[in-house]
Amino acid sequence: MFLYTLLAAVIATVLIFVAPLRAKVWVATSVISAVAIGALFLVVSTLLGGEITLARFTTDLFGAERISVDAISALFLAIIAIASVATVVYSRGYVEGYFKRFSPTHISLHYTALVLLVVSMMFVVVSSGGFSFLFSWELMTIASFILILFEADRQEVRRAALNYLVMMHIGFMFLVAGFVMLYNVTGSANFAAVECYFKVAQPLPLFVVLFLGFGMKAGLFPMHIWLPEAHPAAPSHVSAIMSGVMIKTGVYGILRLMQAIDHNIDLLYTIGLIVLLSGIITGLWGVILAAMQNDIKRLLAYSSIENIGVILIGLGVAAVGHAAGSNLIGMCGMCGALLHIVNHSLFKTMLFMSAGNIYSRMHTTAMNQMGGLAKHMPVTAILMMFATVAICALPPLNGFVSELLIYIGMFNGVSDGHEVLYAIGGIIALSLIGGVVVLAFSKLYGVVFLGSPRSHHVAECTEVDSQRIVAMALPAMFILVIGLLPQYAIRPVALVAEAVTGGSSAAAVASFMPMLQTLSYIGLMLLLLIGLLYVAKRRAQLKRKIEAGPTWGCGFTATNTRMQYTGESFSEGLESIGKPLMKDTVDGRAVDKGEIFPSEHNYEIKHKDKVDSLLGQWWVKLMHRINMYVMRLRTGRVNNYVTFALVFLAVVLVFTIVGIL
Amino acid sequence: MLIKLLNTLLMIVVALSITGVINRTRALLSGRKGIRFFQHVYNARLLLRKGAVYSPTTTALFRIAPCVYLGAAIMAFLFIPVANLEPVLSFHGDIVLVAYLLALSRIAIVLAAMDTGSSFEGMGAAREALYGALVEPALMMGLATFALFCGYSSFADIFSTAQMFDTNITIVMLLLAYVFLIIMIIESGRVPVDDPRTHLELTMIHEVMCLDYSGIDLAMINIAGWLKNAIWAMIAANAVSVVVCFHWEFATPLAILGSGITIGAIESLRARNKLSRNTTYILTIVAMSALVLLTGFLLYQNIDI
Repeated sequence: MFLYTLLAAVIATVLIFVAPLRAKVWVATSVISAVAIGALFLVVSTLLGGEITLARFTTDLFGAERISVDAISALFLAIIAIASVATVVYSRGYVEGYFKRFSPTHISLHYTALVLLVVSMMFVVVSSGGFSFLFSWELMTIASFILILFEADRQEVRRAALNYLVMMHIGFMFLVAGFVMLYNVTGSANFAAVECYFKVAQPLPLFVVLFLGFGMKAGLFPMHIWLPEAHPAAPSHVSAIMSGVMIKTGVYGILRLMQAIDHNIDLLYTIGLIVLLSGIITGLWGVILAAMQNDIKRLLAYSSIENIGVILIGLGVAAVGHAAGSNLIGMCGMCGALLHIVNHSLFKTMLFMSAGNIYSRMHTTAMNQMGGLAKHMPVTAILMMFATVAICALPPLNGFVSELLIYIGMFNGVSDGHEVLYAIGGIIALSLIGGVVVLAFSKLYGVVFLGSPRSHHVAECTEVDSQRIVAMALPAMFILVIGLLPQYAIRPVALVAEAVTGGSSAAAVASFMPMLQTLSYIGLMLLLLIGLLYVAKRRAQLKRKIEAGPTWGCGFTATNTRMQYTGESFSEGLESIGKPLMKDTVDGRAVDKGEIFPSEHNYEIKHKDKVDSLLGQWWVKLMHRINMYVMRLRTGRVNNYVTFALVFLAVVLVFTIVGIL
Repeated sequence: MLIKLLNTLLMIVVALSITGVINRTRALLSGRKGIRFFQHVYNARLLLRKGAVYSPTTTALFRIAPCVYLGAAIMAFLFIPVANLEPVLSFHGDIVLVAYLLALSRIAIVLAAMDTGSSFEGMGAAREALYGALVEPALMMGLATFALFCGYSSFADIFSTAQMFDTNITIVMLLLAYVFLIIMIIESGRVPVDDPRTHLELTMIHEVMCLDYSGIDLAMINIAGWLKNAIWAMIAANAVSVVVCFHWEFATPLAILGSGITIGAIESLRARNKLSRNTTYILTIVAMSALVLLTGFLLYQNIDI
């Protein structure tokens, strides 16, 4: 199995490298499509027939391991397959713009890393744990590191990529520590052994260590700071697959841990609380920071953090609900969280691709230079609208279905008297998140696509090639299906939820199936109603005088486009609330109130994460200090260096004599 | 079926009358003769007959937005029961759907305002988005209080099981009615949060977002406004009638008069907030709502013991 995979990987790499420049993408596309089709085949057969074991082997490090697909793996395989196909189809048009700038080897490396990322993500979710898991996890990190480095001639890209690599390895250390702990106690480092570990040893330390390790990848607060740096640096299709799917592998790990706590109510309760709380904090932090950003991709990155928060809220509700003895609450939370994983992978892929369309035309992601793009890129605008409504969790699209399930879980908690206070906390957090998401995305959409252009570059924008549109339409189709026919979409998700919680889901699913059925009718009714109103309006207007006149400037006749509301001013009101979470960096000087005839000013404000400086700055300072001491040794004289070598040899000699070495 | 029809008819009556009551109250308190009770309906009819002016800056979104605004409001409207009557639509968990339908209508109008490229409308849009975001937790906590006492999460079930309510919770229900009344004021852009009569676009919120709408579009926005008012007024009235007299003959006039007179009186008697104070005002309501929920929770625990 391993050898064949390696061989296939080598062949794919060689093919990508030898193919002519324009054919490289097709090689990558065919490889990824083949892998995706295989994965989808596995998904279907697993969901229909139960667990499939592909390979068994023994490693020297952690003992027996296997590659197998169960229901949880199937869910993740499915989203990886869909998102990766969309990504690689999208990448053709996007990467073509760089053919002049980069050598063919550079492009080949990019596509090889993309294939590697897809394959390693799939191995992460089918591995039973231990060495093969850590190996594919590390491979995934390295592949994504190479992908982020695509525009390596930009300094901020190199910095972000390095930052990402360092952060991921801190997370990796936690994982290694966790697996070693697991192996020491149980003699196996598979996820299946976690259950045994939880029974025989103190469960919380292991959970916390692994939770931190997985949380680093998922972007949990306060380990989220790599996301808003890495996404603006990475090419858009890479952001799409990283944000849509790769960070979900962190959630996958957390799911595996939750799967292991079956009957230990106390533990389930404690872990549920940890997950719920970290979800609430991550979600709120992410959404408020998202609303404050003025860079499209930074905003989307923070929104990914927020969505991970929502997913964790769902998981927390599920765990606390099960601990409180309510299967219904547990299933609602779990199905909501799992469906949200799927949903987020769909709309976030689309959103990052839209951002890529804009970037490849505008060559910037600063939204304050845009405006009125909908006129120049209408298809992108429509698709982005679609994704915006979905991510704001508004009916009738898919985001609403998953959030509704989580809400129902929490409202059931309130109405049945199970853990009312936690449920209330979750409701407050989720509703605030829902409200601010609407603010953040109406800002994003309004400033970028609507209004008048804020710079002359907008006029030169044209719609992107149709292949990219097709790539974006693929997730859009799933969004529509899940949103309008949730009663069918929930069935496979419920199967997966059953696998995580270990209990039977039939009763709980039967109790919210009528709700989803009604929801489906209501979604269709809503669309029909809106359509009818629009048709009625157009018919009535046919015979009437429809004029075009300038936007009402409230009596002021010399309006210009620079007077429009910008992204910064749109979220000004939120700043009073968001201020404690941010650290502003200001370039230039704003126009002073006393300046009656203002001269030319340059003013740029950036809202940086406070955690960033809290976590990032102290070790930079520490390194500086250590470096200062080390630098004293660098005298530049050869005789000093010879002395150092001599001292070193002497120390080694002494050590050898004493017998330490 | 008949009950559902009656429910809808009553809701439409409430929707049409509230603005009239507000106007009459204001006229009365300021010693004017005032406009006709149904003047706003005549105005809307007039608008429905007119043509339209569209700015060349706008896109198709600007023309679809009023339909989404009205469509979502109509859908939400159909979920609200009048006291013991049955609403047209209902399912387990519809309280969340209603809140999110109203959010859908909000994002439609906010984006439409951004579409005009006007600084004033951008201002209105930014404020509406912020206030909408902040008021959401208050709304959800209010609904959670209902869920706590009734054990259901759909409007119809909540109010149909409400007869068994203890008198202990009178205070909670009255406070809840107050919270929903304030939510109504915030959402419909009334004094002290917003002033629909103001002539200064810089300080307007809701009205400034519709500056560029005319004709049928404006009529749609106005009608949606009435429907939303009816939703909030009816929820508040239901909360009160649950503890006083749970019957539609009581709840309907209460919804019309209670909210109409209160809003009219507030508009005549107090000035609007400074805009920068609005955030604090809304957060106070959120805190209030949390307090109601917590009080309710404590009372609920006592009742059980």
